This record gives sequence, C-alpha cells and structure tokens, in this order.
Amino acid sequence: MSTTEGPTLIPDDAAAQAMMDREAKMKPRKGWFPGLGEKWNTLSRQKQWLILIVVVVIAYLLPILNPPLITTEPGNNWQIALAQMSVYALVAVGLNVVVGYAGLLDLGYVAFFAVGSYTAAMFTSPDSPYVHIPYLWTLPLAMAITMFFGVMLGVPTLRLRGDYLAIVTLGFGEIVRILATIIPAMKGQVGFQNVGHPPGTDSGGQPIFLNSNGTPWYWLTLTIIILVLLAAGNLERSRVGRAWIAIREDEDAAEIMGVPTFKYKVWAFAIGASVGGLSGALFAGQVGFVNNQKFDIATSILFLAAVVMGGTGNKVGAILGGSLVAYIPLRFTAIAEFKYLIFGAALVLIMIFRPGGILPARQSLLAYGRIAYNKVKALAMKKPGTGQLTTSTGKGAGDE
Amino acid sequence: MTLLELKNVSVHYGRIQAIHDMSFKVDEGEIVSLIGANGAGKTTTMRTVSGLLNPSSGSITFAGQDITRMKAHIRVIRGISQAPEGRGIFPGMTVMENLDMGSYGRKDRSVVANDLERVFDLFPRLKERAKQFGGTMSGGEQQMLAIGRALMSNPKLLLLDEPSMGLAPQFIRQIFKIITEINKQGTTVLLVEQNANQALARAHRAFVLETGEITHSGTGKDLLANPAIKEAYLGVG
Repeated sequence: MSTTEGPTLIPDDAAAQAMMDREAKMKPRKGWFPGLGEKWNTLSRQKQWLILIVVVVIAYLLPILNPPLITTEPGNNWQIALAQMSVYALVAVGLNVVVGYAGLLDLGYVAFFAVGSYTAAMFTSPDSPYVHIPYLWTLPLAMAITMFFGVMLGVPTLRLRGDYLAIVTLGFGEIVRILATIIPAMKGQVGFQNVGHPPGTDSGGQPIFLNSNGTPWYWLTLTIIILVLLAAGNLERSRVGRAWIAIREDEDAAEIMGVPTFKYKVWAFAIGASVGGLSGALFAGQVGFVNNQKFDIATSILFLAAVVMGGTGNKVGAILGGSLVAYIPLRFTAIAEFKYLIFGAALVLIMIFRPGGILPARQSLLAYGRIAYNKVKALAMKKPGTGQLTTSTGKGAGDE
Repeated sequence: MTLLELKNVSVHYGRIQAIHDMSFKVDEGEIVSLIGANGAGKTTTMRTVSGLLNPSSGSITFAGQDITRMKAHIRVIRGISQAPEGRGIFPGMTVMENLDMGSYGRKDRSVVANDLERVFDLFPRLKERAKQFGGTMSGGEQQMLAIGRALMSNPKLLLLDEPSMGLAPQFIRQIFKIITEINKQGTTVLLVEQNANQALARAHRAFVLETGEITHSGTGKDLLANPAIKEAYLGVG
C-alpha cells in the first residue's frame, strides 16, 4: 500500500492522500490524558476487566476510605457528598443517552428528574394522602411514569430539530416546576417530608437507610449506575445504538439508510427520561424531602454541563462529569456560591483544550468499530485471495 | 417496465413552490439524468423521490406501488437508495461502519457480505481504507463511500445527487465510469447533475429542469446535440 512507501515523484491522488495521512499521524494529541483511549483499546479483554474490577472496588470503598485532600470534610459530610455525586452521575448517564448518543439537545431534563422525585415522594411520604407503597417499588414506578412523560413530550416535539427542540424542552422543564407550584396536591414549597427509604435495620435496630447516613445510599446508587451502564453498553452496541449514532452524525443520511429516525429519537427520549426519573427517585429518598425549589432551569443546565464536560456521548465521561459537577461546590465550600462561574469557565477551557470533553466520545464508538472490524476480518478469512486485507488495513494510516 | 413514475408532482417549501406539476418515468435498467442550473429543483426532486420531502400534490409510484406518503426509511427497504448531495457520509464512523449503516434496514443479513464484496470490487480504495474515518477522507473517496454505502442496501433504484460535485476532472470521469458499471450490473440509476456533458453522455434518457419544470426531454444523445441545451448547459454553441 502506498501509505507505507517513501515519497512518490508523481503526485497522484494516492500520494496526496498518503501525505495527508502522514501529517495527521504526526500531529500530537492534545489534552490531559494523551492517548488514554488508544492505550485502553490495545489492552486485552482480560486486562480491561481486571482494571475495571479494581476501579469498581475502589469506588465502593470510597465512603470508608475517606481519602484526605479529596474528601469534602470538614465542610460537608463525605458520605452524603458521595451519595449526591452518585445521583448526579446517574443523571448525567441518562442525559447522555439523549444528548450524547442521539444528539438531541434537551434543556429541560430536570423535569424528568422532578417527576421521578415527586413519584417517590407522593407514594411514600406520610404527607401525601395517596396510596403508599414500599420505597423500592417507587424506583421502577418512577421509571415507568417518566418514560411515559418522555414519550408524551417526544412524540409531538421530536419532529422539530436543533434549536426548536431545545426551546420546547426548556419550556417543558418550566411547566413541570410551575405545575408543582400551582397544583395543590403537589404541595408547592411546603413539599413532602419523610420520603420513604429501602427497608432493613442494623443490629442496633436503627434503619440502615437514614437521610443522615450517605453510605448505603451511595452504594445503592452506585450499584444502579453499574447496572444502567451495562444496559447502556449493550444498547450502544445494538442496532438501536448504531441508529442513534447515525442520527447524531447526520439525521437525513440516517433516514435514507433505512433508520426509522423518528422512532429511535423517541426511544432515546424515553430511555433518557426513565433514567432521569430513577435518579430523581433516588435523590428524593436520600434527601428525604421534596419540594418545588430544586427543579429550576439552572439545575437543567448543570446536568447538561455535566454531560458536555465529561465528554458528550461517552458514558464513562458522563459519570465523571456528573460527579465533578456535584463534587466541586461541596469540596470547595468557600467558592460554592460561584459554582456557575466556575463551571462556565471550566466549560470554556474544556472547549478550547479538549473539545470532545474530558473523555471524548470515540471510545464509546469503538465497541461498534470492533464489530465492523471483525466483519472485515471474517470476510477476508473466507476469501483466501483477499487475505492480505487485514494486514494492510492494520498498517494503514488513520487507524484508531 | 416502468420502475419509478412521478405524476403531476408539486413540492413546496412553505409557500414557495420548488417543483411545478412534474411528471416523468424511469424504466428498469436505465440511467436517467436530470440536468439543470442551480435552483432548478434537482435536489428537491431527489429528496422527494427518496422520501425526505413530501409532495404537496401528485403521486409517486415505485415498482407498481404508490409510495407518495411512504416514509423514507421504508422506501430504502423497498429498493430506493440515495447517495445524497454533499455525500452525507457519517464523519465519525469508519468506512466500514459507514458501509455497514448502508445495510441497516435489511432483513437478509446473510447476503450482505456479497454486496460488500461488490462495493469493494467497484471501489478498491474503500477496502484499503476500511478503518479510516469517513470525515478524514478526500472528496473523491467520500463520494465513492457515499455511492458504495447506497449500494449496500442492494437497491433497485439508485439516486445519485451531484456525484461530480467538487471533484477533480480525473475523478469525475472515474465516477461516471463506475456509475455505468453499476447500471450494467442491473441497478437502475437516476442521476442529478450540473456536469451536463458527462451526465448526458452516460444517460439513456435525460430531462432538463428549469425553475421546477421539465423543459426538455429525450435521449442523452439527442439532448447533447440540441443547440439550445448546448448553449445553456454545455458552454458551447
């Protein structure tokens, strides 16, 4: 292949392309973790799993370790901070499905978070006159209800594009907050106290899930995050995930490839919404109190900032972004009032130095790339005449 | 046999009418060219046939079936495939992933490998660059990818919107040669072009579009010889 040979005298197309490839290769990667994604993908499956297990174990041990410097104490209780960080991380994972995978700008995501919170509150709090069900049942119920809201909002609005969709979702976010204020049953600012929690008592007869103890909540949320990540990973690699990526890259092109774009956009909206509802229910349980004050537009923007900072389209990045957005004001209490200023500045810096976010999205696409690559390989194996294909593409420029 | 038929089709963008009462037929096995200047309605016609735009009146029939209100993604499954204007490849996907997207709507996954082989035979360059990102390829290669991707759905009718746009003359000849080859393999081709010379020379039949209406029609050779068209579109006469 021409790309691996020396300079060509006659500048034909292949030579010109080869030149471009060489130039592209020489450019050093900018960013804080140069080549992290590449390194990760050259590791064997077993090594990847090993590293993942170590990371997960450390994550579970975080509330006990209470690492100095990183900890939010003495300003804020570290375990409760972790619980909140994990809820934000889950929110970011859900929003990432909508914004990151399908490329739909949702500025009213807090509405789904609110619906989830209210579901948990209204079905468990003694302040609520309605049926009471065990707290854990409200988690799937919150998911179902928010998914329903996601479809309700999605079906009429997803025919819109870009800016229009953003404005409609922004409006939806406000509608939910205002409804919570004006509908008497939702108790406006008074809100619902003593939201339920999962069952179980420790040896002393105290409930395990106390609002003042963040550790069990953190572990519960972390477990749910891992489950959601596994599900999201499978979705990413499935036909649905490929459809989302295609829609994000070019919606018209996706449609004429045979992707039912409208259907999959509604799916992205519904799945994203249900994860938002789930995180809202967890939030309500952990804090133990729900009123209309927490669900303003600023929170929506904060969620979006978490996804963009982490790396739009990358689920691991979303976790990182979500935790950071919750962590920074808790850790640096002295500057907590300036959090929006700080996030604004951080976003500008990230956009300049790392336009894809802290962990750019291509890594998450790679799972799909691997499948495609294996297909080429299988094809080459089948036809002995084209056996050199894999080696030549392997050497070729422009590899991941 | 008639594969595609447009009857009195009008298309509006809001209040502006882009296509007036257009009617034409494409027979199976043909290459049909639509030529015309900027703003004549060529791309609008293409997008209407592929289903990205809905006609405000008139009907479209494909393989004997009315598809006027059919969604674009279903038309792909029925056998209409488009390489859109400006190529429309997925820049963040590799060549292989792009081609794989081309077969997205297919149920007969087992024979997709044959189509992949056909595409790689037509465009060996794509095979060399299977792992390169679509967005980093040259214009000519992106055009190859767009056509190759459209072929991955094994279409009966291939819509090509300005395949020569922005390409070097050498590449243009190559692309048109390949279009003829695709047609010889049994795919009907509807081609929209500004490069009237090549488009007419390669086409069995052709139509000239002016401000949303067909003003001339005939075989490619007739139109090439027509003095009015020579003057307006071929830059001679």
